[in-house]
Amino acid sequence: MALEDYRADAMRCTRCAYCKWIPFDLIKSARFSKGCPSMEAGKFHSYSAGGRLVTALSLMDGRSTVTEAVKKSVFLCNLCGQCDVSCKMCRYDMEPLDAMRELRATLIKDGHTPPQFTPVMESLRTKFNMVEQSADERGNWAKELKVKDLATEKAEFVFHAGCRYSFDGEQGHVARTCVEILQKTGVDFGIFGKKEKCCAGRACDMGYRDDFQTKAHSNLKAWKKAGVKTVITPCSECFHTFSRKYTAKAGSEIKVIHMVQFVDGLIKAGKLKLTKPVKLKVTYHDPCHLGRQGEPYVPWNGKEKKIFGQAVCYDPPKPRYNGAFGVYQPPRDVLNAIPGLQLVEMERIKEASWCCGAGGGAREAYPEFSRSTANERIEEAQATGADAIVTACPWCERNFMDATDASGCKLRVFDIIELVGQAI
Amino acid sequence: MSTQIPRDAYHAIEDIVGPDHISDDPAFLDSYAFQWLAELVRPERSHYMPRPWAVVLPGSTEEVAAVTKVCNKYKIKVKPISTGWYHWAAPMKDDEPTVQFDLRRMDKIIEIDEKNMYAIVEPYVICAQLQAEAMKRGLNLNIIGAGCSTSIVASACAYFGGGPSSYYMGNNSDNLLGQEWVTPAGEIIRTGSLSSGCGWFCSEGPGPSPRGITRGGLGSRGGLGTYTKCAIKLSPWQGPPVLEPKGPLPGYRLPIPDNFRVYTIGAPDWDAWAECYYQIFDNGIGYIFHRQFNLAGADLAAPLWLTYIDPTKTLNDVETMAKDPEVQKVSEEARISFQFIMQGNSIEDIQLQDKILDAILKQTGCYKVKRFCEPDMAEFTNMYMQRLGHKHCNFIWVGGYMGSWMQPGTPDFVKNYVPVAIEGFYRDQKSHKLVECGGDAMMGCGSTIGGGGFFGLEQFVSYDPNDNDSIDACVKHMEDAISDTAAHGIPPGKELLYLQIGWTDEQMWNAFAKMPQQFVLNFQRKIKEAFDPNSLGDRNYPWLPDGWGQKPKTETGSRKPLAKDGRSLAKK
Amino acid sequence: MDTKKSALIKIVGADHVLDDPEILESFASDQSYAPRRMPWFVVRPANADQVQKLVQWANETETPLVPVSSGPPHFHGDTVPSAPEGVIVDLSRMNEIKRIDRRNRMVVIEPGVTYGDIEPALAKEGLRISRPLLPRANKSVVASLLERQPTLIPRFNYSLPEPLRTCGVVWGSGEVAFTGEAGNGPMDLEMQWKRGVAQIDPKGPNATDLMRLLTGAQGTMGIVIWASIKCELLASTHKYVFVPGEKLEDVVDFCYRLERIRLGDEVMIVNAAQFATMLGQQAPEIKKLQKELPAWTVIIGLAGAALLPEERLRVQELDVRRLAQQCGVQLLAGIGNVAPAQVASAVEGSSEEPYFKFRYKGASQDIFFLTTLDKTAQFTKTAFSIAESLQYPTSDIGVYIQPQHHGVSQHTEFNLPFDPSDDGEVARVKRIYTEASQRLICEGAYFSRPYGSWAEMVYQRDATATRILRTVKQIVDPKQVLNPGKLCF
Repeated sequence: MALEDYRADAMRCTRCAYCKWIPFDLIKSARFSKGCPSMEAGKFHSYSAGGRLVTALSLMDGRSTVTEAVKKSVFLCNLCGQCDVSCKMCRYDMEPLDAMRELRATLIKDGHTPPQFTPVMESLRTKFNMVEQSADERGNWAKELKVKDLATEKAEFVFHAGCRYSFDGEQGHVARTCVEILQKTGVDFGIFGKKEKCCAGRACDMGYRDDFQTKAHSNLKAWKKAGVKTVITPCSECFHTFSRKYTAKAGSEIKVIHMVQFVDGLIKAGKLKLTKPVKLKVTYHDPCHLGRQGEPYVPWNGKEKKIFGQAVCYDPPKPRYNGAFGVYQPPRDVLNAIPGLQLVEMERIKEASWCCGAGGGAREAYPEFSRSTANERIEEAQATGADAIVTACPWCERNFMDATDASGCKLRVFDIIELVGQAI
Repeated sequence: MSTQIPRDAYHAIEDIVGPDHISDDPAFLDSYAFQWLAELVRPERSHYMPRPWAVVLPGSTEEVAAVTKVCNKYKIKVKPISTGWYHWAAPMKDDEPTVQFDLRRMDKIIEIDEKNMYAIVEPYVICAQLQAEAMKRGLNLNIIGAGCSTSIVASACAYFGGGPSSYYMGNNSDNLLGQEWVTPAGEIIRTGSLSSGCGWFCSEGPGPSPRGITRGGLGSRGGLGTYTKCAIKLSPWQGPPVLEPKGPLPGYRLPIPDNFRVYTIGAPDWDAWAECYYQIFDNGIGYIFHRQFNLAGADLAAPLWLTYIDPTKTLNDVETMAKDPEVQKVSEEARISFQFIMQGNSIEDIQLQDKILDAILKQTGCYKVKRFCEPDMAEFTNMYMQRLGHKHCNFIWVGGYMGSWMQPGTPDFVKNYVPVAIEGFYRDQKSHKLVECGGDAMMGCGSTIGGGGFFGLEQFVSYDPNDNDSIDACVKHMEDAISDTAAHGIPPGKELLYLQIGWTDEQMWNAFAKMPQQFVLNFQRKIKEAFDPNSLGDRNYPWLPDGWGQKPKTETGSRKPLAKDGRSLAKK
Repeated sequence: MDTKKSALIKIVGADHVLDDPEILESFASDQSYAPRRMPWFVVRPANADQVQKLVQWANETETPLVPVSSGPPHFHGDTVPSAPEGVIVDLSRMNEIKRIDRRNRMVVIEPGVTYGDIEPALAKEGLRISRPLLPRANKSVVASLLERQPTLIPRFNYSLPEPLRTCGVVWGSGEVAFTGEAGNGPMDLEMQWKRGVAQIDPKGPNATDLMRLLTGAQGTMGIVIWASIKCELLASTHKYVFVPGEKLEDVVDFCYRLERIRLGDEVMIVNAAQFATMLGQQAPEIKKLQKELPAWTVIIGLAGAALLPEERLRVQELDVRRLAQQCGVQLLAGIGNVAPAQVASAVEGSSEEPYFKFRYKGASQDIFFLTTLDKTAQFTKTAFSIAESLQYPTSDIGVYIQPQHHGVSQHTEFNLPFDPSDDGEVARVKRIYTEASQRLICEGAYFSRPYGSWAEMVYQRDATATRILRTVKQIVDPKQVLNPGKLCF
């Protein structure tokens, strides 16, 4: 794709500004009605999806050039996809999220790189992770575990921990709990440990398509060699990357399961019993990449066609990816299965979930923006009266933990698998 | 001529709002110039209205006033935009230096006076936000036809004001209480009880109502300063304190409480439809009253909405469904239909309203459209009409829609022009350059005035803004509609208003000069002279130059000397 | 003067130029404290054309005109000339009901049409208009609406000017222009009707609400030559229920809830003195009723019109009863020994002679303003305390609270009856009027209709309104011929 391929989207944008809000039907209060962290931070219309479509058009038409202000307006964004959901409430012919990704890729290709991206990309290229840590330390989280090493062995399932769980000393225990659960089920699985490489999903979102392709093909090759048919991961960003980006952009045919889906299946099949009470009042945060961006991939290769004269549709019919079929219920079912746990919902949930602030390169390039986005979510969680916010993505967790630490807020942060582990 | 804001002006404004809240970056400015409907009137079908010189994000009334004063010093026009969504919101002319005020930082609900049933809001509070808060208190507000994403201040103070709930809740012009306005001269003016220091609760007086100078039906549309706050009257809400829609999207469904009824009412012909409207008005039943779903075209409305509520379907399915004989039956049944929601103070009240409605239907030969009254569609209708959060569906076909006709009047008046509108639209669709949805894609409120009796139906002409031929076809339709109205002795509709955006001042004034009454346009010129001495407002607040009277004038015709903006240079 | 007279005769005819001293004297003063000033002539135009010619002549000769539509007595000083050499424009001859449009529930009338004229005519078509409390039969409907007199049925009151919609106006400049929807069309009502225009929409034309600049204007902006008014269906069944209270505060919560859900037709709060004045025909009866009636009463009219009227009434009564229970107030089907017909007459009727407020003592002075319901008790205390301090019997003060605009604002009125032949009482009431008005305005009472001395009090505090209104006045009446000296002009 090229930016020019999104000209029609830009021309057909009506400037309705729905992209700035959660779906209006779901608004329960004035306080928690906004949907776009970029707009809250940047304020000018250019920080919205609609505004970026105009930026794309303006650049393509030679009416403007890429200035520092334009760059910031393009990259100060988590690519959380709320705008995409809200736009698609009423439109079947718009792809604002994809258009924004394309705009980024275009800017990167043309050399308009936010300098904050450079060390992160260097780390990906040389250390195969996006957290700027030594590659040698990647497998440390699994040191004590007796697990198949897929660098040398074969298995049907690969457990992909992801960069966050691999390197973050405070979060690694979640990956270990996942492994323990998998071992209990007798699933034939292994890990790559030190040899595991970043999914590169974030790099793709940041606009580094070539880097993404390189890493994707590398991972697919490694999985193929190990005989892997399914990848299980507790990281939502990896989940989305493997299930959507690898399939769409790298031809992957590997099945992808998020650990929470796996656990949910086990519980419903009676293969995992949660018996120890966990007395906690929690609220669940839907990670963008598991929720609205966690819909199953549907292959499509078609083109626009017109019916009824001018109405736009596609031949063959195009999958919508409007957030309707994200992974929303399994995490909730898992939480509800934990004895003693009380689940209370925030106002913006499921497809309307407010982003944690970590994704899209924002945490790396615009830490203040990333923090303020997290703070907004923390405030929303506190408004429920919950003791803790629980989620299914390590990036969300890290961003929330950093935010609560900085503010001194008492809200605790958990990964859902962590709570499952406590209940086993 | 330079199109760059003088640096001194830029820095002066920056000193007021802070460096993060002003920009003259061309791409940023383009995001304000880019407006829906621009392509119908701009040269070469450009989607861009004139680009402002700078965009400013004021955070308070005081900042608005201060920046306006800077603009007075540098003779730069001022154009406010809140939620926007119309080309009125952009600068109007290429050779007019303009600063765009983006009011999104002014987004507070200042107060909700639950007992006295009003709320005080800033311009970027949207209807959805206030409705969510109001409903917790057993209150609701009139949401205008453009939907809940719109600014309350804009619809109350500056434009139109009618919506599906106006029948019960009143037009927002009538719901306006106290207001705060920064004139183009930078003066802060408050009206009604507010200016008398008595609070926000009343818009009239003292004596004659000063608010009368800037509202009317059309409103000043940002052409005469910036409205920075208003109080809006609220209405009763007997439903749940928080709406709990059931998913999945996009067709969220809102369960219907026992004291509500949600119907789509069909009529066998337009005569019966008009009779039904009159009977509803006479009987005073109803809460939300709107002809909504036909925006998609009567030929396609049923297949579209039945598709829409199924999250697995796409517009491709509309094509399939439209051929389904069962769906075609529904289309016929719903051809002349409207949506009608009733709210009861009690179960007995709603049962009585139901009985009255049934009696009206019997008397007029109208009926409940069966498929649309089944639970899934009824709950979808309930969600759609209560929150009015799907108004972007106006553009569902291909991203372009222009609303023609919509001349407001009585049901008999509307009934008279509907066949002409329908026939014309069928004709214009033969070019295949517009969405062929059938001639009747007419949508409109049950009444834009509280209590009923007055409304218009708008023809939804869908065109592809990415296709110049399609845009041309839309413009042709607009011109045809103007001809059709003239041929049938019907006043022109919205299409003329839109086309006038592309007119020169002289064309506008010549048109004004032909109007049967020019009094108000001369009045408005004088108001502008008094409150906008440097002419920083634009022609969204229309006026007629001094001496440009009953006879149309040409540019070389004899008349009193005019300033560039048309005001008189003659000594007083 | 002779020149003027001949010019006037040329316009309206000799029979309709009056300079009889007795007639002039009847316009030189009224029930208010407006200083006495004799007009020079009273003219009685027959049609819009004559009105326009009068205004044009006034501009040429710089003669003040004072438009008057209602018959006497007048109360607020707005019909008393404030400038010398004034000419009263008596519009009572322009009393045509131009059109009753049952289908669209609109009536178009001339300014001289009174409530006595219009109500029977509308009733024949099954229509009524929302009306003020006990208007005189000779009260001009247009004048009442232009002056934003409060109407009795809050649920119809979508805006304060309702049910007034559009007007044909001879503006002070001598130009004729129509307001609202009528301002878009040809300058001819018949032509508009032929085109299906029913003069319904009050907004506009364009970006100005001309009608709103006329309301509350006391005839200073233009002379209305016709007006279109929204009608409602005549009720085929109608009854009243009552909620009594010892104190005003006792009924406020109930009224908030009642008005919020728009239950009932007529809704008002009256104290015993006010209710007694409404019901009683003579002073002794009024005095007796003052003692017998509850201290405070909410009067609620329940009506049924159109389809299923009886059932409507039954359901409304059920809902009101439920509401009363929830609020812990009593709901009474009757009030003491007062016959239902008497209540109906008091609420729905017109005031017979003598005017109802005069029946108790011969004269009365009103203080009225707008506020919100939660403040009515406080303002009542203020007025009563001033009256008490000046030895006025507070049991005589009538209090009338009329919800407007669906209950958002409340017309709050204090009636002070007095014996006009008793100089002491006259002076006392005048003092109460002045002091109470001053104190109330300081406490935040909104004198939205600033008659007489209220004008100075109001506009001194409201520079913005003053500036805007003077600007408008300068535009529409540059020579200041229409009722100069009123408001802030």
